Amino acid sequence: MSGSAAAISVRGLRKSYGDFEAVRGIDFEVAPGEVFGLLGPNGAGKTTTVEILEGLRPRSAGEVSVLGFDPGVQVRELKDRIGVSLQQTNLPEKIKVHEALELFAAFYSRSTNADQLLDRLKLTEKRNVYYSKLSGGQKQRVALALAMINDPQIVFLDEPTAGLDPQVRLEIHSLIQELRAAKRTILITTHYIEEAEKLCDRVAIVDEGKVIAIGTPREIQAKTLSTAKIEIVCEQPIPADGLPPIVVAAKYVISEEGKRLTVQSTQPAKVIVELVKWIDQQGIGLADIFLKHPTLEDVFIELTGKKLRE
Amino acid sequence: MNAYTAHALINIKLTFRDRTVIFFNYAFPLIFFFMFGSLNNAERGGAIVTVLTMVLTIGILGTGFFGAGIRAVADREQNILRRFKVAPISPAPILVSSLVTGLINFLPGAVVMVLLSHFLYGMPFPKRWLSLFLFLSLGVISFRALGMIIASVVNSMQESTIVIQLLYFPMLLLSGATIPLSILPNWIQIFAQFLPASYLITGLQGILGRGETLGQNMWSAAALVLTTILALFVSMKLFRWEKDEKVPARSKLWIVAVLTPFLISGIYQSKSRENLTKAKLVERLERRGRTILIRNVRVFVGDGKVIESGGVLVKNGRIDHVYDGAIPDPKDVKADAVEGSGKTLIPGLIDVHVHLGAPGGFLLSQGDADPYRDMARELAAYLYSGITAVKSVGDPLDAILKVRRQVNSGEKLGAELFICGPLFTAVGGHGTEYFKSLPDNIRKNLEAQFVRTPQTAEEARQQVDALKKDHVDGIKAILESGMAGMLFNRLDVAVLKAISEEAHAQNLPIVVHTGAVRDVEDAVDAQANGIEHGSMREPIPQALFARMKAAGIAYDPTLTVFEAMQDLAAGKTDLLDRPLLQQVGPAKLLGGTKDFIRSEKSAKMREGFKGFADLAVAKQNLLHAWQAGVMLVTGSDAGNPMVLHGPTIHREMQLWVEAGIPPTVALRAATESAARLLRTDRRMGLIRPGYEASMVLISGDPVKDIHATENIQAVYFKGERVDRSELFNQDKQ
Repeated sequence: MSGSAAAISVRGLRKSYGDFEAVRGIDFEVAPGEVFGLLGPNGAGKTTTVEILEGLRPRSAGEVSVLGFDPGVQVRELKDRIGVSLQQTNLPEKIKVHEALELFAAFYSRSTNADQLLDRLKLTEKRNVYYSKLSGGQKQRVALALAMINDPQIVFLDEPTAGLDPQVRLEIHSLIQELRAAKRTILITTHYIEEAEKLCDRVAIVDEGKVIAIGTPREIQAKTLSTAKIEIVCEQPIPADGLPPIVVAAKYVISEEGKRLTVQSTQPAKVIVELVKWIDQQGIGLADIFLKHPTLEDVFIELTGKKLRE
Repeated sequence: MNAYTAHALINIKLTFRDRTVIFFNYAFPLIFFFMFGSLNNAERGGAIVTVLTMVLTIGILGTGFFGAGIRAVADREQNILRRFKVAPISPAPILVSSLVTGLINFLPGAVVMVLLSHFLYGMPFPKRWLSLFLFLSLGVISFRALGMIIASVVNSMQESTIVIQLLYFPMLLLSGATIPLSILPNWIQIFAQFLPASYLITGLQGILGRGETLGQNMWSAAALVLTTILALFVSMKLFRWEKDEKVPARSKLWIVAVLTPFLISGIYQSKSRENLTKAKLVERLERRGRTILIRNVRVFVGDGKVIESGGVLVKNGRIDHVYDGAIPDPKDVKADAVEGSGKTLIPGLIDVHVHLGAPGGFLLSQGDADPYRDMARELAAYLYSGITAVKSVGDPLDAILKVRRQVNSGEKLGAELFICGPLFTAVGGHGTEYFKSLPDNIRKNLEAQFVRTPQTAEEARQQVDALKKDHVDGIKAILESGMAGMLFNRLDVAVLKAISEEAHAQNLPIVVHTGAVRDVEDAVDAQANGIEHGSMREPIPQALFARMKAAGIAYDPTLTVFEAMQDLAAGKTDLLDRPLLQQVGPAKLLGGTKDFIRSEKSAKMREGFKGFADLAVAKQNLLHAWQAGVMLVTGSDAGNPMVLHGPTIHREMQLWVEAGIPPTVALRAATESAARLLRTDRRMGLIRPGYEASMVLISGDPVKDIHATENIQAVYFKGERVDRSELFNQDKQ
């Protein structure tokens, strides 16, 4: 290890499949105890990246260190210490939930108590049920349980909620938040904006094999050119003349018979203060105020010119 | 718990939860078992070993190709293996667990089928159960390893299906797993030797049917072990956890590489034909194992007793029951019925004096002779004629040993052969005259094969011991001075005594050729077990016969050869026209002999035989021997001119009856007594429960007319109803 305390460190990572370059130079670090998200559309290279980190596939170039191990060399040692929930995996149809846990526990040099794990993942009732009889959410909880069975130092969750309905997704989110509270190091890949915003300490936005933005969700939003949207609804029509200069300088629209004013600005707080002062001076009754910050989606659209989910 | 145990335990649980696995592992083979069983009439004996072998082999093919092969591909295609890829394990626990699971799944079914074979179809319990268990396990493991190597080199379920069908169907159809190999064309039989499944069949048949050990199937076992090791090694190297990882098409060549042991052994087997020989032996056992009920038949038991209307049940090659009176329904005893009314069943006849190395006649061209083939054919001719055992009393050792191995193993069908190997005689004695005129080195080689001429007692003992080590069945010595015009040096009596003592010490019966009364006396003094010929020139005194009776010495008058010598001297050939002899042929030999004897070329020979033997004297001696109560046995000295191999004993008995011997006595001499001289009277010579089912079914009653023995309806040999029409086609197959 290069002396750095990072749990995961990735520099200049590249991966080609024949002529196709899936990962084209990715850099990031994940600190111990951090929940880190790789956000990007399908095919961005997220899964390739994590599978390289998990020791499942070789890389074409770059330096990678996970828990101080090179995943291309010390595969066994690494696999023994990490927990992984993959996309597109299955268990045999007729394996019972507790059997799956006990089987995988036998593969690792250390393991946690399977019953406690089932309890934490609300699977105790299902411990004797065949895998094929489980719902999608239950299968995903089993996947999480398997990822936790060796009490891992890092948990990799590849699209943990893909294909699940919203209710189940919330359940999984709360489970991940519990892990976050327990200070686990977690690497999540997702193409859901709200998942990244809600669950991750830091996020890297990945597109076409490259990191195009990295930081806390807030930092990423702040760094962009995107503007906040301020809407003011009044009881009487707003006089179009004599608006404060800060509004005039920004883009604005008056609608609903002059009662609604929409302003787009990079300085939303200042706009609101000025506008509220000005409306008060005009003696107009203020009915409502809305402030909309730019989302990561907006950021993504701004950076790539395309939507996350097509 | 470590990864290996954990994975194996779960895998076993999973397979037992899988209904299709249960069906294919247990229900499916049972369906085949009962189907093959009823198709082959296995309840009537014989076929059950083959049926069981087939079903076990089909089971092993299934567990290997489908249980291991398809399953491994499915696990990969369904992304189940992908989940295991993230764990810190190698492919080894997964591969090993597949082998173990297959074995644990397979064995209970195998046990059930062995039990069913025993209880429903009367198959004896396997004597070599440990060998059976080990060989079956090896079979399952090697075929599962084959399944895994296929899984390792295909890229999709479709590909695996194609590759598996390409291997599975040839093995199912062309290895003997469903169709007995022996009924398939020769080239397929050779091709089968390149298929691993054929080795399973050969091994299982050997262990189940012939009580062989794993050690006796080392060739099969070694090929299976090698393939297993290669397949596991390559499977480890080529193991893929994900369907997205593809292998290049050339990887499929690994299958060929893994099967190299079978390519090599296929080449070896197509030359040596060891396995094909084994297959023939098993087929023989199967034919010998049929249950047969011969009913409403007159039974000449062999000890002189006659059952006027009885029945004989044959089971597993032996006489199971002799019915005197009420005979069961064939269905109740699960037997093929043979109607015997108006017929007589006699024990297989025995000729205790033949020389297979000589044809018994003259061929116009020596190029038509082939000693090994001819000897086997001669034994077939005996069997055709209802003579189920013969004793060779003087033949080239290596050749006769080889023929005995071939025929007594059942590989070739022919009368059971007992041998003495070379003759003990004097230097320049009878037996050496045939080689006299040959060049020295050839003569020495032939003499080493055909005679022993010990000079001292010590040398005689050593030579007897050496023959014992070659596993001869008896010793033959010669006391013969010849007569004017044909004189021989005579074996020293002290040396004969040494030979006899050593033969007794080695538990080998010793018989002595005699020509004059003096020879008989010396042979009796030397405590021979049998006197061959007696005397054909001088009357033997009653006192000497009394000594023979007291000592239990057998008397074999060989009237046949003396009659033949007289006819030969007179230029008569009508003995060759007997219908049975015409049937066994061979035509070239019969024709050549007739032509030669009638031609001028044989004038000198005919002259030489004149006065050598007097049939009337020989007959008189036989009658006196019988009257003195001497144990009588039948021999023909076939191989001598005009005594062709085949229906010898029939003529011998006719001559006996002409001499005044009652037919019952002649028949008993040819069966029970002859068996006693061969020291096999606990298994042949009688129609009695526990005895080998070697019998002749003839029309008429030989007790009334001895000529009836030539009217052969059927020959049973060790339980097999001999297909007499096919006996002389054996070399063509």
